[in-house]
Amino acid sequence: MANPVSLLAPALIPSWNFFDVIAASPRVEYALAEARDAVLDAWIEFRPRPQRLSPAAMLARLFWNPRWNESLFLVSCAERLVEEPTAHGEDEIFRRIAADLASRPDAAPWLSFRLLFLDPAGGREVLYQAAPRLRSDIDVG
Amino acid sequence: MSFDLALRLTEALLALALIQQGLEHLRAFRRERILFGARIVLCLLVLAGVAQPWPLVALAVLSLLILQRFQGPYNGGSDRLGLLALWCVTLARVLPVEAWRELAFGYLGVQLMLSYFISGWVKIVNPDWRKGLALRQVFAFSAYPVAESLRGWAGRSRLLLAMSWAVMLFELAFPLTMIAQPSLMVGLVVAATFHLANACLFGLNRFFWTWLAAYPAILWLQQRLF
Repeated sequence: MANPVSLLAPALIPSWNFFDVIAASPRVEYALAEARDAVLDAWIEFRPRPQRLSPAAMLARLFWNPRWNESLFLVSCAERLVEEPTAHGEDEIFRRIAADLASRPDAAPWLSFRLLFLDPAGGREVLYQAAPRLRSDIDVG
Repeated sequence: MSFDLALRLTEALLALALIQQGLEHLRAFRRERILFGARIVLCLLVLAGVAQPWPLVALAVLSLLILQRFQGPYNGGSDRLGLLALWCVTLARVLPVEAWRELAFGYLGVQLMLSYFISGWVKIVNPDWRKGLALRQVFAFSAYPVAESLRGWAGRSRLLLAMSWAVMLFELAFPLTMIAQPSLMVGLVVAATFHLANACLFGLNRFFWTWLAAYPAILWLQQRLF
């Protein structure tokens, strides 16, 4: 775990290189299974964006946008996980998927996720896949 | 704009921006609710002007715990400017010498100016941005467009080429707006419109509020320098 002072430094001496290079972009996908060693082949995109959003809805998100901001946080976690795998990044993604699935107690008990990266040339590559965890073991409180 | 007024406006706008973010976190997990609930209370004290500068000092300390919690800023650049603004206004309140206080607050104004200029520079040196390709890629496959229908914009190459150059030229020219207060105000209105567009198209609402919160700092800096 990085210490908070080292995490603060880039904010106090910022680089401001927004969108300097358009890199491969991650998508979080998850799969459910009845057993830990089951073959995972039915991957589902986590929180796919809506087909359309009205201008009023876009403006409303100026004031209330928690799910989208959480999705952007997961993009950061995904990029960090691929650069330098940590338990923290994996835990954060597991917790949020499990929290969304909490309303489906009848769903299969084992949960896994993978990070699919889309590149500018249209390529799609899975760069990370987490070992399955029991949904009941994931703290969503 | 006097130093005191600009500082007060910045800390008040920043407190409102942090409250907006904090409310979004209250729907999340228990530990986040504790951290952000405390942050909302401290922001309310800043807004009320109670026991200054201690709520700001506490917010700065709390920002370290939040950084630790997420192992970095929760939402990248917007949270980075929020952190910078928070630490600058805190130092501008607690430092013992007036010149140091002005330096801390002025640093925020300088960084705000650089946030536009450097963003423009790193884009214009990239051929993909000069050809409009980078913005097409943002719409085509990045994680940012808030709706699938917006991905269709990737096919509007002339529009995106024009948008790319408009953004790059504006960002690069922004420091020139500091020559006079009216030109800076025009520059900030254009910049706020740019952030509003980013909030609508890419869901980057935190950028809008955080950058707005720092505008009094650059308005004060302009008057101080010219």
